[in-house]
Amino acid sequence: MRREKVKKALVCLAFSILIPTLVTVGYLAFGERRYAWIILSATVLFVASFFLYFEKTESKTGRLLVIASMTALSCVGRVVFAPIPGFKPVTAITVICAIYFGAEAGFMTGAMSALISNLYFGQGPWTPFQMFGWGIIGFFAGLLSERLKKGKAFLLLYALFSGVLYSLIMDVWTVLWADGFFNLSRYAAASLSALPFTAVYVVSNAVFLLIGLKPVGKVLERIKTKYNL
Amino acid sequence: MEILRVENLSFRYPNGEGESDFALSDINFSVSRGEFVVLCGVSGCGKTTLLRLIKKECAPAGEKSGRIFYNGVPLEDTENAGEIGFVGQNPECGIVTDKVWHELAFGLENMGLSTDAIRRRVGETASFFGIQSIFRKKTDELSGGQKQLLNLASVMVMGPKLLLLDEPTSRLDPIAAADFISTLQKLNRETGLSIILSEHRLEEVLPTADRVILMENGKILICDAPRKIGERLAEENSRHPMMRAMPSAVRIYRGLDMRGESPLTVREGRDFLLNNFSGAARSDKDFCGGEAKEIKEAKEKESERTAENKKSRRDFGVLAAEMKNVWFRYGRALPDVLRGVSFDVRRGEAFCILGGNGVGKTTALNVLAGLDRAYRGSVSVNGKRISEYRGASLYRENLAYLPQDTSALFVKDTVIEDLCEIFSMAGVKKSDREALAAELAKKAGLSHLLRRHPYDVSGGEMQRLALCKVLISKPKILLLDEPTIGLDAFSKDELRNIIKGLKSDGVAVLAVTHDAEFAAECADRCALFFDGEILSVAEPSLFFSENNFYTTAANRIARDIWKDAVTCGEVVRRCKEYCGS
Amino acid sequence: MKAFKNFHPVSLAVYFLSVLTVLMFTKNPVLQAEALVGAALFLGALQGVGTLLSDAPFYLALFAMTALTNPLFSHNGVTPLFFMNGNPVTLEALLYGVSLAATVIGALILCRCFCDVMTSDKILYLAMAASPKFSLVLSMALRFIPMLVKRFHRVERAQRTMGLYSGKSVSDRVKFHVRVFLSMIPWTLENAMETSASMRARGYGKYIKRAEKIKNGKNVKNVKCEKKKRTNFSLFKFTPRDAALIFVCLLSFGISLLGEAFFSVGFEYYPRLGALRLTAWSAAVYAVFGAVTFMPFLIEVKEALVWKYCVSKI
Repeated sequence: MRREKVKKALVCLAFSILIPTLVTVGYLAFGERRYAWIILSATVLFVASFFLYFEKTESKTGRLLVIASMTALSCVGRVVFAPIPGFKPVTAITVICAIYFGAEAGFMTGAMSALISNLYFGQGPWTPFQMFGWGIIGFFAGLLSERLKKGKAFLLLYALFSGVLYSLIMDVWTVLWADGFFNLSRYAAASLSALPFTAVYVVSNAVFLLIGLKPVGKVLERIKTKYNL
Repeated sequence: MEILRVENLSFRYPNGEGESDFALSDINFSVSRGEFVVLCGVSGCGKTTLLRLIKKECAPAGEKSGRIFYNGVPLEDTENAGEIGFVGQNPECGIVTDKVWHELAFGLENMGLSTDAIRRRVGETASFFGIQSIFRKKTDELSGGQKQLLNLASVMVMGPKLLLLDEPTSRLDPIAAADFISTLQKLNRETGLSIILSEHRLEEVLPTADRVILMENGKILICDAPRKIGERLAEENSRHPMMRAMPSAVRIYRGLDMRGESPLTVREGRDFLLNNFSGAARSDKDFCGGEAKEIKEAKEKESERTAENKKSRRDFGVLAAEMKNVWFRYGRALPDVLRGVSFDVRRGEAFCILGGNGVGKTTALNVLAGLDRAYRGSVSVNGKRISEYRGASLYRENLAYLPQDTSALFVKDTVIEDLCEIFSMAGVKKSDREALAAELAKKAGLSHLLRRHPYDVSGGEMQRLALCKVLISKPKILLLDEPTIGLDAFSKDELRNIIKGLKSDGVAVLAVTHDAEFAAECADRCALFFDGEILSVAEPSLFFSENNFYTTAANRIARDIWKDAVTCGEVVRRCKEYCGS
Repeated sequence: MKAFKNFHPVSLAVYFLSVLTVLMFTKNPVLQAEALVGAALFLGALQGVGTLLSDAPFYLALFAMTALTNPLFSHNGVTPLFFMNGNPVTLEALLYGVSLAATVIGALILCRCFCDVMTSDKILYLAMAASPKFSLVLSMALRFIPMLVKRFHRVERAQRTMGLYSGKSVSDRVKFHVRVFLSMIPWTLENAMETSASMRARGYGKYIKRAEKIKNGKNVKNVKCEKKKRTNFSLFKFTPRDAALIFVCLLSFGISLLGEAFFSVGFEYYPRLGALRLTAWSAAVYAVFGAVTFMPFLIEVKEALVWKYCVSKI
């Protein structure tokens, strides 16, 4: 019991004093890189606070397992399709999971897919951004679930949007960090060199969403009613 | 003192209607402390439902009446999930976490124990079950038997008083299954744990059970001591399908229509035969110099037959598949798995390759099926080298492969869609496909399964569907990988009949199996695979009579009298012959 | 070579985060050089010099590309070397490119060390500190992945033996793989539901049920005293050695940051190159940060020597 209390106090202390101090000192210390620093801190804090929220809300064992297995599936997809650069079902699976199990589940699936698949592909400073990127794509998909279920056109639009959003998120930080401000020419160069990947990425999103949404949705729907999730 | 009492328990699944759809009806029994109860019955008789209802956390949804008492308290009012342990059928599904130590600790974490307490109990349990060596491994790296042992250990770590097991060995090979059963016996004997075990392989289990409950159509048919079960079953119905699942000693005893308590183990069965039929051995010896004569005779017969076979083979000239001095390894730096394997299979014959775990039997099949490529030696199928087949031509009207996990053959939502796909490949018009598939299923007696999801059918049905599917392409050679794992006695009979039919159609059947009983009953030739090689090839009666360990239970029982009798039917026949003479 | 790996996950996380943050955000060439060399030695100690050498061409190419392209994007600085398309290419921008390249490569190497040292069980432990439930889900996902990969290959082979894949073209192959992949989803979910039964059978989720009972106001007193929270077990033990590592890392991190902010450790490239000033504070920063970056390598070397000594004694 005492250990619990100590732990709780430490968490409170961290959130109220340590983290703000750290962010501020970093802001003061890092000169031109302070904006990159702020964005990084904000991303990490956002993802972390989402996990804390998850700890408090998500309760059904079955739902936890659905999230775990969808995460595992998207990681396996990333491994299986690794020979084709950019071609990965992560976004599609995240989106489908979000459509049927809600925005929070979508965020968790996306964020965890990034974290776990990077265990195989290499962690780095990009991990928090990947977690945030895929997480937020899932989150929005959860919010837009009704429309995504109905229209194919909207689904394709979302595939495009998620592909662009993802590469945007991944590049903005690099540019900010290198130049201290949003250097358009560097950003354009980065986006341009990544364009083939982004294109494959958008295509794979669309392919997996179009083929997968109906059958996988049916399975998820069935599981949802069968096990009362 | 009783630990569990079930009173008038009936249960109906939500989609069931009418009287006949009761999954369980009017179940009454009790289990006393320290008792080892075996629950058996053909698949679909309600064993799983009953066990799951006793473990309330796993109880299926549906309409339930009647009561279950645990230690005199109604089950609904018991609090501690650790008191009743449950181990399911599939070793893969029971495991929750990625590390062995975490898996062991999982239940204790749920109980809210402190780190020190968990450390002690986990350590103690791992020592008892002998899994210290895998303690820090990933759960994925374990073999099937180790996984099931881990499932058992991680339930036992919570200190249950009653253990429920739902066909825990059905997905294991016979050796791992026997290990698992002996661990259960140790638990029962040394810790006084009460156990209810549902099982379809009774050979090892029955001798140590205190009581057997035999279920049929959701009802308890017989509840009695193991020694009496054979007689009681015969009283109910002398051709009951469960008779085939009984231990060999019981089957031989009942086959001779003996009364009273039956022998259960090989030793008891042998003593029974020696007491009653030793004259057969003596008279043989008197006449022709004992068992040596028997063997000699069998050998002569065999050489005659092989000569005949060779002749007939030359006549037909139909070699279905052949491997000559084949070497294979999975990677440059890895050890050889196949070290000069040579064998051939002829059309119209069933060839069984027997052998232990991980000796490369399945690899040999994979090489023959063109999935892995040998780095030395030649593999030919239907007279053509395997490398000469382009694209998928090897698999069209040529060779079919039934993998151990038959569910891997089905990828669609319903069985019929999967069947139609094969027809589409063969170029059948879209409108005709469904009719063809339906006709095929009707011929195989599987029409009722067509609209089901592939994962909603039982193991035996799944295998028949899978066979149906791979046979659409009209193969000339059929490869079977461990076809009897997870099958109950009834489904094994079905499989045997299918193989017989295929043989008469001129199909070559090559099966890789652990199951000596199965090989003895359906093979034309058997071979032992060991250390990457095929060691001996002979027809079953000779093959098994030459083996000391790797042989059937019936042969162990009878070998002192008739060395070449390898199946229960054969032993019973000889006994009757002797009585008649 | 496992000495550094045996630290407690929390200490290791603090180590990597503190060094990586300073490396990523400082522009001080001394600190960057220390971190780069330290990380390279660390990787060499972990994976052998061979890996380091075989990867060298990649890092050199990346270095050249980053360093040389920076002047194209950035035209700050007061010392133009020459003009290109009317834009000045400045010395400052070139040097800044070199610094960027050093940082990127240092971070990449350090991250490879991170992957090598922070195995999945350590990450799970850290996740547990933030959210046990999240950590459990991670652990389940990690358990599913190898199982699914095996399943994928099984299904793929089984489908191949039915002649469903002729292997003619790339698009054929992709289609075939997509088909197999999609078919695994129902299988995975069905299995997961069985796993959830196994979890419940071992008492998972019991605590939550009791909490619900309290809400309903049933038998409040009785339930409350029974209520037990789920605990979290791990094999890691926190020793004084781990505390020491945390202390040293935080010290170096703190003085580096404060030095950057207030005590002349900062360094500027634009508009003109700054000067490195050696003060008591900056000297302390260089010394402590240097010690921290070289520590893993030194620990590994010491361990190797101890082993050698032990072996020679035997």
